Amino acid sequence: MGPLIPNGVIPYEWNSIIAILIGIAFGFVLEASGFSSSRKLAGVFYGYDFAVLKVFFTAALVSLIGILYMDYLGYVDISQLYVHPTYLWGAIIGGAIMGVGFVAGGFCPGTSLCAVAIGKIDAIIYVIGIMIGIFIFSELYFIFQPIYDGSFLGNITLMDSFGVNRYWFVFIFTIIAIVVFVIADIIRKKQKKIFY
Amino acid sequence: MKIDTQKNSHMYWNPYFGGFLLGIIILFTFYMTGRGLGASGAMKSGVVALVDTVTPSHAEKNAYYSKFISEDDSPLNTWLVFEAIGVLIGAFLSGGLSGRIGWRTQHSPKITRKRRLVFALGGGILFGLGAQIARGCTSGAALSGMAVLSTGGFITMFAIFGTGFLVAYFFRKNWI
Amino acid sequence: MVNRKLAKVLKFRYTILAAILVLLAAGLVLLPKYEKHEGINPEELLSNVISPERYITSDELAHKIINQDPSFLLIDVRDEENFKKYSLPNAINIPLKNLLKEDFEGYINQSQFDVVFLSNDNLYADQAWVLCNRLGYKNLHVLKGGINNWFNTIINPAKPNENMASIDFQLYSNRKAASMFFGVAYPEQVKKKPVVVKKVTPRKVVPIKKKKKLPVEGGC
Repeated sequence: MGPLIPNGVIPYEWNSIIAILIGIAFGFVLEASGFSSSRKLAGVFYGYDFAVLKVFFTAALVSLIGILYMDYLGYVDISQLYVHPTYLWGAIIGGAIMGVGFVAGGFCPGTSLCAVAIGKIDAIIYVIGIMIGIFIFSELYFIFQPIYDGSFLGNITLMDSFGVNRYWFVFIFTIIAIVVFVIADIIRKKQKKIFY
Repeated sequence: MKIDTQKNSHMYWNPYFGGFLLGIIILFTFYMTGRGLGASGAMKSGVVALVDTVTPSHAEKNAYYSKFISEDDSPLNTWLVFEAIGVLIGAFLSGGLSGRIGWRTQHSPKITRKRRLVFALGGGILFGLGAQIARGCTSGAALSGMAVLSTGGFITMFAIFGTGFLVAYFFRKNWI
Repeated sequence: MVNRKLAKVLKFRYTILAAILVLLAAGLVLLPKYEKHEGINPEELLSNVISPERYITSDELAHKIINQDPSFLLIDVRDEENFKKYSLPNAINIPLKNLLKEDFEGYINQSQFDVVFLSNDNLYADQAWVLCNRLGYKNLHVLKGGINNWFNTIINPAKPNENMASIDFQLYSNRKAASMFFGVAYPEQVKKKPVVVKKVTPRKVVPIKKKKKLPVEGGC
């Protein structure tokens, strides 16, 4: 019965080793999908490359459907999984700031690490920027704290917020994702090719 | 068969294939550890460790750093730091296999290298700030949050990409 | 020929993949839903119920106590009043109504000791046993006949008749010896020597804090 480490099926000492192994796989897949290239990442905002959108949504769908099947078959207890907490305004404001940062810098933290690994200088600068950003946040924590801790709604899921059946939601989400993929391909064909 | 690395260096995986594998990794991560992936948390640990070594007293006084400092453990001894080390190794392997390793700055031919680096720094600062306010970045909050249908994860995802599309126009010179 | 066929299939590869994805998602909607059981399933509970290891007789228990067997833990599920009046040495009082309180979980839900429930008869002990079984706890037993039976067999054993088998005499003498251990004085023995009531060193049971399920923490 999963998750394996919190339930003590695998000793806790393995946690760090598994973390490194998972990280290697994560980094390999991100890099091989082209996420170490900031121009490829930024392409999603200008319609010349939708790799981010495709990878992102495919990954979300596969993991979502996979987790639900594993829960259904009893391999993993969905109620024991960590649900990212919802701080309504923190998520919106933080997400908006991250969106600007994404377009300006062309990376997100995970992909910038990949790009650092293959020697992209802009990524190294970007990581330094992230660390400065975190430093600014920590130093000015008293200013940000109301947003950071405010409007806490708990570790809720969409089922709690909207009362939708999770299986139906996933089904509809799948259809939406596929439609988005098709639209993305149509848009990309209309855009002029950009070589990077 | 000799792989032409010069030609091959910009051949990436099919995004659906990459996405499928990434989904399997997230699934495996949840199955093993009950938690999702992340990236900016490792950098936060790095900042905390740095501040803690330079000025320990200041780090203890600060309400934010002190959350991550414990007496008997280094702030670097967290799951995400190990995962981030793995990401570096994995990306290096993949880049090495496809011949993408090398010191270079990637930017649109229309802008100078300096401009690219300035924007990278500014974007990084914003992303670091935003990731702390939202308690997670694209991988930690959006991707892993969506896998368990977290409301916060979906909101963060929409906020990131929504704002991204809104402001994309103002940054278009940097990319196209 | 094969290549052409393959190319034909490959032309539709994204459609096929999309169809598979939709089918998988639809499968989730269409799969029959069932309520999940908390704790162990009924079959397992039944097999525990009919297992002979469920009960421990008073003779076995007396033997264990006298030999200072460190492997078991007596849990008295009667209320406090009865417990104060009389109980077995080293028994721990967890009244049935408090059984599920978190403070006592460390005593019952552990793998270090065999847990023996006891009450006046089997009734309450059995109920405690079923409850704890349902929660998936291990190594649970019930004292057969409870305190009443304990009195009848160990403290005040019935004298066997002349025409009973020798095994009964053996049993009687064992029980008598046991009862002396528990402080019952027999007139014929008092004359010879004072009964040495062995002090049973109270066993310290440190409820091992069960490793709390590790808080699954995230944070990017």
